[in-house]
Formats: sequence, C-alpha cells, structure tokens
Amino acid sequence: MRRTPGRPTLPDGSSSARPSVRRRALRLVALAPLALVLTACNTESIRFGFPKPITEQGHRVLNLWVGFFWVALAVGALVYGLILWACFRFRKRGDELPRQVHYNVPIELLYTILPLVTVAVLFYFTARDEIVIDKLSRNPDVKIGVVGFQWNWQFNYIDDKLQVTGRPGQPPTLVLPANKKIQFVETSPDVIHSFWVPSFLFKRDVVPGRQNKFEVRTEKTGTFEGRCAEFCGLYHSRMLFKLKVVSDAEYQQFLTTAKAAAAAGTSDMYTTTSAGASAISGSSQ
Amino acid sequence: MRTNARIFYGVTAFFLVSSIVYWFTSKDPTGTTALAFAVGLGFLIAYYLQFTARRLPDQLEDLPNADVEEGAGEIGFFSPHSQWPFFMGLGAAVMMLGFPFGWWLLVIGAGILGGATLGLVFEYYVSAASETSTREDFSS
Amino acid sequence: MTQVLEPRLVTAGRRVRVAPGSRIWRWITTTDHKVIGYMYLIASFGFFLAAGLMAMIMRTELARPGLQVVSDEQYNQLFTMHGTIMLLLFATPLFAGFTNVIMPLQIGAPDVAFPRLNALSFWLFLFGGLVVLGGFLTPGGAADFGWFAYTPLSDAIHASGAGADMWIVGLILTGFGTILGAVNFITTVFTLRAPGMTMFRMPIFTWNVFITSLLVLLAFPVLAAALFALLADRKFGAHIYDPANGGPILWQHLFWFFGHPEVYIVALPFFGIITEVLPVFSRKPVFGYKGLVFATIAIGALSMAVWAHHMFATGAVLLPFFSFMSFLIAVPTGVKFFNWIGTMWRGQLTFEAPMLFAIGFLLTFLLGGLTGVMLASPPIDFHVSDSYFVVAHFHYVLFGTVVFSMFSGFYFWWPKMTGRLLDDTLGKIHFWTLFIGFHMTFLVQHWLGVEGMPRRVADYPASAGFTTLNEISTVGAYLLGASTFVFLYNVWRTARRGAIVVGDDPWGYGNSLEWATSCPPPRHNFVALPRIRSERPAFDLHYPHIVRALDRNPQQEIDQQEIVR
Repeated sequence: MRRTPGRPTLPDGSSSARPSVRRRALRLVALAPLALVLTACNTESIRFGFPKPITEQGHRVLNLWVGFFWVALAVGALVYGLILWACFRFRKRGDELPRQVHYNVPIELLYTILPLVTVAVLFYFTARDEIVIDKLSRNPDVKIGVVGFQWNWQFNYIDDKLQVTGRPGQPPTLVLPANKKIQFVETSPDVIHSFWVPSFLFKRDVVPGRQNKFEVRTEKTGTFEGRCAEFCGLYHSRMLFKLKVVSDAEYQQFLTTAKAAAAAGTSDMYTTTSAGASAISGSSQ
Repeated sequence: MRTNARIFYGVTAFFLVSSIVYWFTSKDPTGTTALAFAVGLGFLIAYYLQFTARRLPDQLEDLPNADVEEGAGEIGFFSPHSQWPFFMGLGAAVMMLGFPFGWWLLVIGAGILGGATLGLVFEYYVSAASETSTREDFSS
Repeated sequence: MTQVLEPRLVTAGRRVRVAPGSRIWRWITTTDHKVIGYMYLIASFGFFLAAGLMAMIMRTELARPGLQVVSDEQYNQLFTMHGTIMLLLFATPLFAGFTNVIMPLQIGAPDVAFPRLNALSFWLFLFGGLVVLGGFLTPGGAADFGWFAYTPLSDAIHASGAGADMWIVGLILTGFGTILGAVNFITTVFTLRAPGMTMFRMPIFTWNVFITSLLVLLAFPVLAAALFALLADRKFGAHIYDPANGGPILWQHLFWFFGHPEVYIVALPFFGIITEVLPVFSRKPVFGYKGLVFATIAIGALSMAVWAHHMFATGAVLLPFFSFMSFLIAVPTGVKFFNWIGTMWRGQLTFEAPMLFAIGFLLTFLLGGLTGVMLASPPIDFHVSDSYFVVAHFHYVLFGTVVFSMFSGFYFWWPKMTGRLLDDTLGKIHFWTLFIGFHMTFLVQHWLGVEGMPRRVADYPASAGFTTLNEISTVGAYLLGASTFVFLYNVWRTARRGAIVVGDDPWGYGNSLEWATSCPPPRHNFVALPRIRSERPAFDLHYPHIVRALDRNPQQEIDQQEIVR
C-alpha cells in the first residue's frame, strides 16, 4: 500500500481527504489564472482592444469578438508552432535526401474538414448575433434623423422637431437618454459618409439617395466620441461629433433648453425643423 | 484540350448555380447580371475548346507517355521582334488622354492606333502573288 | 546515397558591349517573353518605390497629431495614389512579369502564344501607369478620392480636375493590358505545353497563374465598364451613378465585383512562387499537389462570390450570403497553408534568402488570414470596417503575400534570369530588416483600429489617445523603407561582381523545367527538353537514381504512398 507523506491512512486503506498546506497553495496558484479569466469573462475586462460597449447590442458584438479572438489565438499559436518547430527540427543535417513524400490523403482530409467545421461554428454565432443587431422595433423611444454632409453632422430629433447642426470647428453633440431604444435614420445630401460611435461597437454608412436605419438600446451615461468612417473628401478627418448619454430628467431638460434657443433663433447650433432645410444648404462648406 | 474544356464547363456550372442562388436570395440586379455574364464567358470558352478538341487528334501535351522527339518540328511562328505594339500602346494612350484634355487628342491618337494596328496586322503579310519569291527578312 | 550537388561558381566578369540607342530600340521592339517579363518586373518595382515613398510621407505625417508635413488635400492624394499604384501598377503587373519570365519555361514552351500581343500588354500597362501618375503634374493634383473611387465622391462635382480623369483613363489602359495578358497566358498554357506536360504535371506556379488569368478575364472587364460609365457621367452628363438611381451602391457592387477577385489576382501567383521555393529548400516534393490545385480552383471560384463583404456597413447587401462565402474561402486557404507546412515537414531545410522570405510570407500572411476571418463576420465588421484594423489586415495579407513572395522569387530566380546569384548575406540582412520593420509598422494598427481610429485620415485629435501607437508605426515604417536600400545595393553590386552561375540549377534541387535549361536561357528557352513523366521533370533529370530507387512506373502518375508518421 503506497503511503503518501502527510496523508494519514485509515484502517480501510483509504486516505483522509485533508491535503497538506503546501499542496493547497499549489492548487490555488494553478487555479488563479483560470479564475482570473473567468471573472474577466463576466466583467468584460478582457476585450482585446475593443472599447467598453454602452449599448445592449454592443455586448453581443463584444462577446462575439472575444470568442473569435480566442479561436484566432488558438489557430495562430498552432500554425505558428508548426512552422517554427519545422524550421528548428528539420534543419538540414547531412547530405541525405529526405523521404520524398508526395501526399497523405487522411491528413489532407483532416485539415480540410477541421477548418470547415470551425468556420461553420463561427458562421452560426455570426448569423445569430447579426439578426439581433439589425433588428428594428416598431415603436422606438427616440427617433433620430442623421444627416452627414461635407464635412459635419446634423441630428434631427424627429418627434421634437429639433435640429442640432455642427459648424466648422464646432462638432455637434448628440444628447440621448439612457436605457431607451434609439432608432437612427440616416441620409446624406452629397457623398457617402459613415456614422461611427466606437463605443457602440457599430457603424452604419450614410448613403446619398438611401435611408439607412439602425437601432440601439442605450445603457450607461457618459460622453463618447463619434467619427465619420467613410472617406468623404477634404476634411473627412475632421468630421467628428460627440455623443452624450444622460438620465431621463437631464434629457428632458436639454430638449426644453434647446427648443427654446431654437425658437428664439439665438443659437447657431439649434434650429427647429422647418428652418432646417436652409440651415443645411448654407452650411455645407 | 478536353481537360481544358472541362475546366471551363466547371466555371460555367459554378456561375450558373451562384447567379441563380444569388438572385433568389438577394434580388440584387447588379451582382446577378455580373454573375450571369460570367456564365456566358465560361460557356463561350468551354464550347470552343470542346469543339476544337473534337476536331484535333490528342495533343502530345495531354498524353502522359509522350516523348519530346514525337513533338519535333516546327511549333509555330513567333515574331522575332516588332515595333508595332509600342506604337499601338502609344496611340491608345494618346486617345484616352483626349477625355481629360480635349477631343483633338482622341483624333490624333486614333490615327496613331489605327496606323500601328495596320502595321501589326500586315507585318508578316505575304501576298499570294509574291509567295513564290524568296524573302530574306521579315522586319517591316 | 544521394550526392548533394553544390553549385560551382565562377567569378569571372562577362560584359557585352552594345550601343545604348540600339539597346533601347531592342527593348521597344522586343517580343521575347523573358525580356518583356524583365521590363514588367523593373517597371512595377519602380512603381513600388514611388508608392512606398508616398507611404513614408503619410507615416511621417501621422506620427503626431496636427498637420506637419502635408495638407489635407495632399494627404488624400497620397493615399489614393498609394493604393492605386500598389494594387494596380505594382502587384498586378508584377504578376504579369513573373508569369512572363517563368511560366513558358515551366511548361517547356518556346515563348507565349502571342508574342506581339504580349508586348502590347506591357506598353499599355506602362503608358497607362504613367498617365495615372501624371495626375500629380496637373494643377489640381492627382486623384484624391481613395483607390475605390466611390461615387458620388468621384463624380464631376466632387472631383473636378484632370487628375481624376487621368486616373480613370489610365486605369482603363492598364486594365486592357492586363486582360490581353491574361488571354495570352491562358492560350499559352492550353496550347504550348511540351510533350508529356499534362495539366496535372504543370508546376503549381503555372496552375496559379492560369487560374489568376481566368480571374482577370472575369473581373477586369467589369472594372473597365464601370470606369467607362464613370467617364460618361463626368464627361457626357450621364446619370448612371446618380444617387437618385441608387448610383452609389451600384458603383460599389461593380467596383467590388472587380475589386475582390483583384486581391486574389495579386495573391494567387505569389502563393505559386512560395509553392515553388519551399520544396527546393526542403529537398522534398510539394506536399499534396492535387490538393493544392483543387484548393486554388476553389479559392478562385469563391473569390467571385464574396465581393459585398466590402459593403457590409452600407446596409444594402445580403449579409448571410456574403458572410458565409467569406468564411468558406478560409478553408481552401487553410488547406494550402497546411500543404506548405507539409512540404517543409521532415525535409532537410536550408535558409538561404529565398527560403527566409518564403517563411516570412507564411508567418505574415497567417495573421492577415486570421483577421480576415474576423472581418467575415458582419457584427464584428460593423465596428472595425473602415478603421485601421482593416488597414492592418490588408497590409498583412497583401504585403505578406506580394512583397515577401516577390523578394523570395527575386532571390530564387535571379540566377535563372541574369546568370548571377544575388549576395545571400545581404539577402538575410534585407529579410530581417524588412520583417521587423513590417511588423513594427502594422501590428499596432490592429489596436488603433479597434480603439476607434478611422482610415484615410490625414490627422487625428490629440485627445484620442492614438499618438503612441502611431509613433511606433512610423518608426517601423522607416525601418521597412530602409530595408529596400539593402536590396537595391545587392542588385547593383551583383550586376558588377555577382557570382556567375555555371550549369542549369545553382540551388541544386529545382523541380520544374526552368531548372533544366541554362542560366539565362537561350532565346527560345530550350536547346533540348528532358522527358516529362512527373510534376518534377528537372528533378527527375538531375536525380535519375532517386527516380529509379522509388521504382516509379513511367506509365502512371506518381502514387507511391508514404504515410507521414
């Protein structure tokens, strides 16, 4: 009967369930990285470079990305390992010609089928998340019209008949309430632009002659960057905007203030919808 | 030659299937048109190759046991050198420059291109009447 | 016991005196596929240097926030021309160049099927390329709407100026050159193979350029048509791309129907080069020849069905179809990868410059392929599209494939083309500076992209937090640029005092027919053709005892099955 040091043996031959302190410590050390990874998975702290998502849809995108990234890491490590190992292990030794192997059907079939299965799985998760992300609801809480033009943005609060227009050097701020469904309707009077809020983990092109729609459900409050992401000419790099997600009360306050300024005609940035058409055509340069 | 025809029938079949699938899933006219024309391209070449293969005996390059000696003799005529491709290219370029800079360039370029094309086509032309006489060199 | 044949080198000088004028006339009137190929290689390398210089300027500008070097307008012209030149005036003609030099030799042909058409293709490329580049000389400058030329940005209102028109007509000219070249290559492969050179004995490089030529026939006419239509809009008041008619999306469909096969057109021939180099320096045959052929055919076919993955963010395309096809295309590409590794596996590897660059390609292209699979997923693509993540991806696949394989091919075939060997030590220095420089430049750009840096921006806000990574990228770019000088010095030095090759095959283990003729070959390529009974006729010629030992039956295809343990 094997005796394990530090483990008392009971009369029936079994050993007690109490491991030594040292072994317990070792186990914890081994488990720590795994625990770290697991907790990270829950709090989305491993994002592999992606920004923290601020919308409900953004979480789906982030999870998909993280999954893809792990797969890519695994495949990359495997293939890199094979290449570098081959370079090291099969360096020329001596003058003999190696076995002139031409093919091996089982192995070739294996490395055709395994990648096929892998991409099938990746496609499944893609299709599943894609359907959710592109969904539009019948009654969104807020409807925002987005007009991208050379080289600034205009945001229309459709139900409130408020327009926010950026001026050269003054990117506009889009104020939105948190925890609400926001539907965006985009178009352009001139060339293709793209509405990108990196924190949405989403962008959608703004195409002249077309209306593109997408929807997000905001979550966190905060101020976030927005950029044009489709090359649109001279000042493409300066076609920026800000997104400010605020509480419901703050949002109502913003609407009241902005509409008042628009009605009084005292603001460059805020106008009411009826005056909007001239605001656009006057501000394209 | 038959293998080659089969390759292009494969191309034809692939685009036939993909254009049908693409149309019924996307209803996009642009992509469907492009894919449909690819069917035509594949079929045109495939049928021509099949037609030619039927007329010709098995080519030496398709026979796995052919010997080089069996292919001895003249393979064909390969132009040793020619100035006309250069001038054809030049003419085409001058023509296209007519679009940005003025239609007069288009006319001049067409003239150069036309002349050079004639030069190319007739470079090795030997009329029936003069075929009996000996010719020393083929340069124009 | 196999004797390794070491190349015998004679370092005597050899020069032929020719009057400069008659040399130039010889080039202008040549119909020799080898000389035309050299002209293609030299011209496309020249365009590569020009576009590389543009890249250096762009990277210098982007190192820090604020405009220090160029204006917004100049920057936009730089990236437009950089992309146009690299893809259409460097990589595509480089394919034509390598094909011209090598393919007829590999199939045992005396030249291409239509030698004068071949010359015409070259001159159309050269003149068209000069017209495109000539845009810089106009008052308004060169085209500045990005190499995709999306409408309405490229229409007469938003891109007035002769530079844009020159871009369009120049590309029509080069496009025709490419199409005519493809016709020539396909005809040559079909009709001028030597006796016994069946389709399934052709080298993989030849298979790859054959399928590439097929892609050219399918894709380039669509580009030419789209460009003519753009010209009609700009010059004749047509409304083909009018936004009211869905014009912008129409342009994108047409452009990408060409544009996606185009990137495989510039990839497949260079996969072919790698497939030629790896077996020679592993001293083993290519692993899975038939698998490679079918994988290449699959890649070619699928590449015609994925174009709208460049349009996911437009909201105007059928996402599942294109996503699925894009995922699928990763499979044959992966198969090729494993075949390449299988070629090296259990070989006797040596690491001369061609092999180093081939391995560099493998290590680089892999990362690009992996990010490509990520981009095939629309939800991920929605975030990273049009950001520096995509810039990183395509530089990894394109530079990894085209540039690394180009240098691998140069070092490999230089003795065949010129009769001299490039210096291998300089080659190794060249490789390491290029490899490190490249990765330093582009690896960090993945990060920049996912963090939120868009592409095609002349500048970025200091508050964005992009500065450090941009600085690293710029330093890497300078190292990358510097590596080019090592190569140029190597070429210059070799021309004067490079080691002269005696015999057909300085590397010792060449498989394909170009290694069964002199270095350089005679005017019509072969004084005598060896017997062709396998996909490695030169190897069979030089190692008949190996052939006999394997007890190969010349009546059948190679089918000695040897299981790799």
